[in-house]
Amino acid sequence: MHVLLLEPNTLLAQTYTQALQQDGFSVAHAASAQTAVFAADKHQPDVVILELQLPEHSGLEFLHEFRSYPEWKDVPVIVHSMLPPTQTIQVEESLRRDLGVKALLYKPRTSLTQLLQTVREQTREIQNQSEKMA
Amino acid sequence: MALNNDVRPEANELLASVAEQLKVPLAIIARQAELGVLQGRRGLADTPAAQVHGFDAATIATQADAALMLVDSYLLGLELLRTQTQLELEPVSVSSLLVDAAHDLHGFARQYGVTVDLDMAGRYGPVMSNARGLKAALLSLGFALVEAQATQASDLSESVGKKPARVLLAAHRTPHGIVAGMYGTNQAVSASAWRRAQALCGKARQPFAELGAGSAAGLFVADTILRSMESRLRVGRYLHAGGLAATLQPSQQLQLV
Repeated sequence: MHVLLLEPNTLLAQTYTQALQQDGFSVAHAASAQTAVFAADKHQPDVVILELQLPEHSGLEFLHEFRSYPEWKDVPVIVHSMLPPTQTIQVEESLRRDLGVKALLYKPRTSLTQLLQTVREQTREIQNQSEKMA
Repeated sequence: MALNNDVRPEANELLASVAEQLKVPLAIIARQAELGVLQGRRGLADTPAAQVHGFDAATIATQADAALMLVDSYLLGLELLRTQTQLELEPVSVSSLLVDAAHDLHGFARQYGVTVDLDMAGRYGPVMSNARGLKAALLSLGFALVEAQATQASDLSESVGKKPARVLLAAHRTPHGIVAGMYGTNQAVSASAWRRAQALCGKARQPFAELGAGSAAGLFVADTILRSMESRLRVGRYLHAGGLAATLQPSQQLQLV
């Protein structure tokens, strides 16, 4: 399973990448929205982990762009952000309903164990769906 | 980190941006240390994050997470003060929040040799509060009390022999509402000391010297958040233990208990 990790902080990205790889995922990392679009094209991710606060274009802009491609419209996206819930709560419904965000995690309160658990849940769901279709 | 409404607005802005920035290195420390713990469990001892010989990765992770939680709650308190807003009140189960808070405090307290106990005298229906705010307040209060209990216990053990430190998370019913609080077996907190500490918050380096050696920031953060939910932190006693507690109003929604 391929994970696209959008994380602007290099050290956090290394930590999350290592944890995901040890859990059996292959990881492509991007630090900005533009690089992430290229990385998505190259690696065709099964799951995206997205920070909303990115340099230049925001995570929301990336998400709109990402969802505009038919091949990525059903790829589960996990928002994992430094933005506090008091701010994301205003856009939570639209993120879930319109942009297919499966989970909203507040980075300062989310352990690696919780993040890995959420990614596993999403990949399990993908596997269940593809088994149903087969 | 003074939570003070009287300071110049630009000072608050500056503190807010420092606190916001602090979340990043704290998150790096916490997650790197957690990765070390996970790798240690899997026997990956030669991986970079696990190669911190002589350090307890679990302690680093827990302490960094506690610091992150305090900074985050501080920012929430500051935002509430700055915008003069109240947190939206909703029916909240005080029992389950206390259980959650006890669970989250457990690892932190264990590192200090402090036992966390729960005591719910009776069953309660929901109270009017804000779940996220109340949990942030309880944890801020809890981290501060655990540290204070540990300091007092080690001090007592020097003079009168070892006395176990304990923090009790408890709720009980009073004519004024449901009182939820945290109490310690060692400290003797008086109402006048708490009032004096509140007056000194942001002005003295050690405003609550009766409780512990630090700035007691967690208590002021907890009080600020509680005030935005029509409550406040008060000195209280429960089962021969002294501590700080908040009175919460029962929700009028349909109740089974």
